[in-house]
Amino acid sequence: MTTKHVIATAHTRSIKNRFARRFLRSLLKMKRSNRLGTGFQSNEEIRKRNTQRIKTAADRSMARVVGPRKIWSRALLFKLRNRARIQVGLRKRCLVSKKKKVLGKEKKVQVISREPNRADNLRELVPGGDSMDICSLLEETAHYIKCLATQVKVMQSIADLYST
Amino acid sequence: MDTSDKDKFELEKSNDNPINYHSSGGMSSDWRFNSTSIPNSSLGLVPTDNLMSVCRGDLVGAASCSSSSVIDSFGPAMWEHPTNSQNLVFCDINAQNIASSSNTVGIGKGFPFSSRNGIDRTLEMGWNPPNSMLKGGIFLPNAPGMLPQSLSQFPADSAFIERAARFSCFNGGDFGDMVNPFGVPESMGLFSRGGGMMQGPGEVFVGSGMKSVSGGQTQKNVMNAGEASKDVSMSVDHMATEGSPLKNDTKRESLARSRDESKKGAGGSGNDSDEAEFSGGSGQDEPSMLEGNCGELSAKSLGSKKRKRSGQDAELDQAKGTPQSAKGSPETQQKGDQKPASTTSKASGKQGKQGSQGSDQPKDDYIHVRARRGQATNSHSLAERVRREKISERMKFLQDLVPGCSKVTGKAVMLDEIINYVQSLQRQVEFLSMKLATVNPRLDFNIEGLLAKDILHSRAVPPSSLAFSSEMPMAYPALHQSQPGLIPTAFPGMESHSDILRRTINSQLTPMTAGFKEPAQQLPNVWDDELHNVVQMSYGK
Repeated sequence: MTTKHVIATAHTRSIKNRFARRFLRSLLKMKRSNRLGTGFQSNEEIRKRNTQRIKTAADRSMARVVGPRKIWSRALLFKLRNRARIQVGLRKRCLVSKKKKVLGKEKKVQVISREPNRADNLRELVPGGDSMDICSLLEETAHYIKCLATQVKVMQSIADLYST
Repeated sequence: MDTSDKDKFELEKSNDNPINYHSSGGMSSDWRFNSTSIPNSSLGLVPTDNLMSVCRGDLVGAASCSSSSVIDSFGPAMWEHPTNSQNLVFCDINAQNIASSSNTVGIGKGFPFSSRNGIDRTLEMGWNPPNSMLKGGIFLPNAPGMLPQSLSQFPADSAFIERAARFSCFNGGDFGDMVNPFGVPESMGLFSRGGGMMQGPGEVFVGSGMKSVSGGQTQKNVMNAGEASKDVSMSVDHMATEGSPLKNDTKRESLARSRDESKKGAGGSGNDSDEAEFSGGSGQDEPSMLEGNCGELSAKSLGSKKRKRSGQDAELDQAKGTPQSAKGSPETQQKGDQKPASTTSKASGKQGKQGSQGSDQPKDDYIHVRARRGQATNSHSLAERVRREKISERMKFLQDLVPGCSKVTGKAVMLDEIINYVQSLQRQVEFLSMKLATVNPRLDFNIEGLLAKDILHSRAVPPSSLAFSSEMPMAYPALHQSQPGLIPTAFPGMESHSDILRRTINSQLTPMTAGFKEPAQQLPNVWDDELHNVVQMSYGK
């Protein structure tokens, strides 16, 4: 555990840097496409859309940096990719998946009587947590928290840069 | 069996004395050896006594085989003399051979077995040369060698050897991997690896842990079978467990019981006759081995009570070995004592114990989790315990990650904290992205600056601020050289943030994506006035 931890901490720097680079690149791309393609929408709409896009970009770059090693990053990438696809067909899929999720949750609630609320809440928060047992869920949560923290840190510094 | 047990005990004692066993394998190894029955004991002895002990094991095995026959003839006397079963076996063998070698070990321990031990030791001494030989090769070879030396007295050394071989075969067939024929071969190999010395084996046993134990157990089983006097082995086990005075008492009692039983068996023509016993022993060994491996001790059910006893003994030995190895605490010893007592009772309780022991052993083999006293030992509860430990471990890890979680106790509360933290982080990301979205349109050029900053950041992080400063001038000239045309245009733009500047930046950005380093360096230089500040800001942060 200790060695793992050390490696992880030694690795965060590179993860952080890689994430920052990726995120900035995607921001740049977005900016360019924005400048080229946008035009006649209200500021509010643009902002909303940009917010969503930036968030997606941040998530994606984070997941990309982490790679397919972790379940949550895989699930996140899959989700984002699906979302990015056909937006019309996506709703249907969403509906279907929601139904499935509901069913699965009901089953889980029936099977797991112990603190179903908390564990399930955590499952909802961690991408891909639906299919994890509690053990791997906790593990993934730990990694996810780490990555989220770096994400927040990088974004915070960028935002500070912008605002100044 | 008894003799083997005694040997084991002796070995344990000897281990204490030699320190090698204790230090390397500690008590557990000794116990394991003891539990392994005579073969085991022999093995254990070998490590402790080095070659000597091995010889003993071989001798014991041979003795056990021969002892069955011998026991018939010697049975009564042997039993009497050997307070322990070991004494009986060894006595038979030892008496024929020298019998003093084993005793020496026991004597070292200061137990009643000492006389026997001494005999055993003498035997061992006599055997030592063979043992050393055996170390190099296998027990069987040893057994033959041993037989000639110590067993010369024995009428049927060859017969014994054959029996031993059979035993080994049986064991091997049954156990296959773990058990090995004698279990001794493995231990032997281990010993030989360890330097052929007893210590080496002891270490090996310790290191191998379960494997060695299983081998020891199998060996023990074999020994028991060979011994035919399962009771004796039980008593021996008790003796081994006796490390403490209380245990000694119990052992003595058990020994007395075993003696009685053995006497009875002897009265009944050494139970099933030596050969029969041996065969039974082999059968027992197999079952016991199987039990050890599969935990199906009860299922195999020894054909004869004696067999059962031997199996039980073996199981007991194993159980003792495991607990001892695991904790080496008095509790385990007590348990072992209790188990022997139950085995002496011969009741179904023994079988149950055996089954439980068998299950424990396999678990030990696969999952290195041992039930503490009072804990459930079935596979489900063990697995559940492992799972819970895993979860708590992860929880601890998470506790370090989540701020304000260190003081919280209770998994439910901790989960709440974790959920809150994750939620807050996600909300922060959302908020920051919103902030970026609002800031973005206003400061288009900043992205490039950020990119540069980011690159600088990544670069600057490892080196120091000095590196940064050094890079700046370097990049600057480079920029001029590479893009002389751009610089003039860009410079005016820099100050005014004109469109031209943006364009130049954009044009530069495309290359930047391909080769980040150069653009990154260049950009800061180009932006000197504004971006430089920005970069420094970010850098400072």
